Amino acid sequence: MERIEERQGLLSALPVLILLGAIFLAPLLVVAGFAFMPPKVFHLAHLPSFENFRIFFDQGYHAPLLRSLGMAGAATVLLFVLCYPLAYGMAKIFGRFSLAITLAVVATLFVSENIRLFGWVLTLMKGGMLPGHLEAWTGLEMDGLLYNLPIIVLGLTYAYFPFMLFPLVQGISMVPDDLRLAASDLGASRLRIFLEIDLPLAMPGIVVGSLLTFVLAAGAMAESKLLGGQAVIVMADEIETAFTYGQNWPLGSALALILILIVGGLAILALSKIDLDGIMGRRS
Amino acid sequence: MPHKPITRAALLVYGILTLLVLYLPIAAIAFASFSKARYLSFPIERYTSQWYGKALESSTVSDLIVTSFKVAFAVMLVSVVAGFFGALAFARYRWRFRGVFQKFVLLPIFFPQAVLGLALLMWFNAIGVTPTWQTAIAAHLVWIAPIATLVIAIRAYGFDPALEEAARDMGAGYWQILREITLPLLWPGVVSAGLFAFLLSWGNFPLSLFTTGADLTLPEWLYAKMVSGYSPLVPSVGSMTLALSLILLLASAACIRLTGRRRRRANGGEG
Amino acid sequence: MASQTVLRLEGVTKRFGSFTALDSITLDIADGEFLTIVGPSGSGKTTMIRLLAGMDAPSSGEIYLSGNRITHLPANKRPTCMVFQSLALFPHRTVGQNIEFPLKIRGLDRAARRARAMELLQLLRLPAGYYGKGVMQCSGGERQRVALARALAFDPEILFFDEPLSALDYRLRKTLEKELRALHRQTGKTFVYITHSLEEAMAMSDRIAIMRSGRIVQTGTAAEIYNTPKDRFVAEFMGEVNLFPVEGTGGGHFKGLAEPLQAGTATLALDAAARATLMVRPEFVRFLAPGEMADCSLEGELHNEFALGSRVQYEVGLPGGRALTVEKLAEARFDGNYGDHVTLGFDLAHSHLIREA
Repeated sequence: MERIEERQGLLSALPVLILLGAIFLAPLLVVAGFAFMPPKVFHLAHLPSFENFRIFFDQGYHAPLLRSLGMAGAATVLLFVLCYPLAYGMAKIFGRFSLAITLAVVATLFVSENIRLFGWVLTLMKGGMLPGHLEAWTGLEMDGLLYNLPIIVLGLTYAYFPFMLFPLVQGISMVPDDLRLAASDLGASRLRIFLEIDLPLAMPGIVVGSLLTFVLAAGAMAESKLLGGQAVIVMADEIETAFTYGQNWPLGSALALILILIVGGLAILALSKIDLDGIMGRRS
Repeated sequence: MPHKPITRAALLVYGILTLLVLYLPIAAIAFASFSKARYLSFPIERYTSQWYGKALESSTVSDLIVTSFKVAFAVMLVSVVAGFFGALAFARYRWRFRGVFQKFVLLPIFFPQAVLGLALLMWFNAIGVTPTWQTAIAAHLVWIAPIATLVIAIRAYGFDPALEEAARDMGAGYWQILREITLPLLWPGVVSAGLFAFLLSWGNFPLSLFTTGADLTLPEWLYAKMVSGYSPLVPSVGSMTLALSLILLLASAACIRLTGRRRRRANGGEG
Repeated sequence: MASQTVLRLEGVTKRFGSFTALDSITLDIADGEFLTIVGPSGSGKTTMIRLLAGMDAPSSGEIYLSGNRITHLPANKRPTCMVFQSLALFPHRTVGQNIEFPLKIRGLDRAARRARAMELLQLLRLPAGYYGKGVMQCSGGERQRVALARALAFDPEILFFDEPLSALDYRLRKTLEKELRALHRQTGKTFVYITHSLEEAMAMSDRIAIMRSGRIVQTGTAAEIYNTPKDRFVAEFMGEVNLFPVEGTGGGHFKGLAEPLQAGTATLALDAAARATLMVRPEFVRFLAPGEMADCSLEGELHNEFALGSRVQYEVGLPGGRALTVEKLAEARFDGNYGDHVTLGFDLAHSHLIREA
């Protein structure tokens, strides 16, 4: 009965809605409120001011923002290239083996991101697992591979690998095999099939995967801290610094708000373009 | 499209290599945890398990484990209950604002966690709540409740609405249908969502960072040790949390297998 | 047999947005009858049965059960039960648990439930050993029987069926049609069945209602509808048919509008200049031997012959370009070659005049 479903839908949604209202929407509103407070206050009971946004432009905060977005973009492109062949294999070729890969990849998610990144530190540092062993075998002096920008991009690529892989698998498995067969039957080359059939039909998965990795990478902090040392400052660092050392909540909020608007805007844009029921496999 | 054996083999090799790279840092941690040297350097000269003993004796570490466990357990309970009903609204019922609801639920997953943590810190401050491990539960839920919803929703999509209609047609009320039909059929999704919720909360760092106040969770403590110079306790405690995740994962996999087999036996082989 | 109305629909309309799925339906269903609602997909029959079972509510109009208004009563408050197209057997339960489900909801104790389930297994000719079997392990036909047993366990006043046989193969469907018919007689309950298959409707039901575009076009017994359809849609829906547009020429005489019809002395109740459609079923058209007479005859050319097992069908091209279908029993097969010139005839007693507005 559609009226029953109408009511049941709303009632079932309620727990999550209340939860997210209290711990997601409300805090974001507070951030937005603080962003328009004068610097260095700790209450919302002040006259609104645009001072923080002036500071953003005057003190060159756009540089870490662009750095964050640039690294996120690079990591996303890299992830797409790295994940696509594997996702294709998992969706179309491996069969039962793809379940094993899925489990193995999901299992890494359950290990704290910190610990995994620290594992990379131990692997790549001077005298770490890689340089140390190479040194022992070749006798050549090896330097550590840490503390530069490319290694942070690799760290991001590593950390968000599953977030690109699984949406891609889902997207590619939505491409009907018949279509690819028919195109190949009609004489299309592999490249043509990829460009005209695989890519457009797998697009929902590609969009979700790219968006997810980009957004998560743009707001990431642990990678630059652990792998980059103090050599590379990203947006999330600046936000944290403003809150902690700077004790300037309004400035931190303004910086956070700018990041949130970029990231949230992208997320909403992409989410509104995707047929969620289709990608998650509704029957009817 | 027919795939050449060579394509298949190449992709398989690629997949295995990828997995190796994914597990490389975890292996590094595991090796490092057994190194006897106070200052780690590869190749490891002498092995020891003394750091595990030290970690287990440390009251700090056991406190951390208890705190992390309490948080993860509470997060699991709340996100499974909210996620179960949320998944029904997400995938099963046809209602007017379903599309909007779906997007709203997914939105937090797309937000940088550290920023969400800071936003929550300000929110707690604004309403006069002192951050402790309890507030960290709320913080973890921002990210984990949507994921639990999503995991159960995937199961709910494959669910024939006629089953609920048939039960209602035969006189069953809402809660009877829920107990007799919906919950048993979504149960595998509920179990995996619970597992996801627990493990993601257990390992979460960015959401805890600003929201635990004076309390510390394991990942926070590990992070503090990592950035303040090398401590041999980091690899050993890290390996222990890793082992716990692994045990939980294997135990639940075994559980699912066993119940699956029992059901298959009850149904005489068809699954 | 003057039977009582058990279910009554009065001006029931169902709209989904701007789309009208059911358009002011009025229908009486008699106590104990087997009524089949037939219609092509999109005719509104599924919407109709969902309203009857209480899974949807009408936009306007009323539904009465034994004189009581139940229009907005939800499905779980109605003493009716539906067998779903997908059967909706609970996959995580055994055959026994499925059958006992309505009894459990009603609060019967374990022993009473089991006893009733056993009775029903026997009634539906399922082995007693199936009690503990998983439903997903049963064959298609067995699942049908389990679904029926479950619906009967509910002991409904009316049983609704939403095309439950549509997924089965032909032979099994035929067997189950017969069993359903027998079950109807045994239980004496009112059965309301919907299907798109006319064959199924004719094989089982006491009465058929034909639906089209949200309306009931005609109700009646299978023979009534087959022989005297109300309009061209029903005529064509009820199997192969030949339709001739005709016009009255006065005194009951008439002429064919699409092709020349040689009419004899027999007359139709058709006024001068009035137009109508003359319907003849293929089995009533004869190949005329030279000199043989019929009320109506026409010339044509043999185009095709289709062997249908017990029957043979012929396609005869007419001068106007249309084709005529003729059907014979296989033992009375017409001996002719493709391209042969043939004379066809039929008697007006075997025809039916369709007047449409």
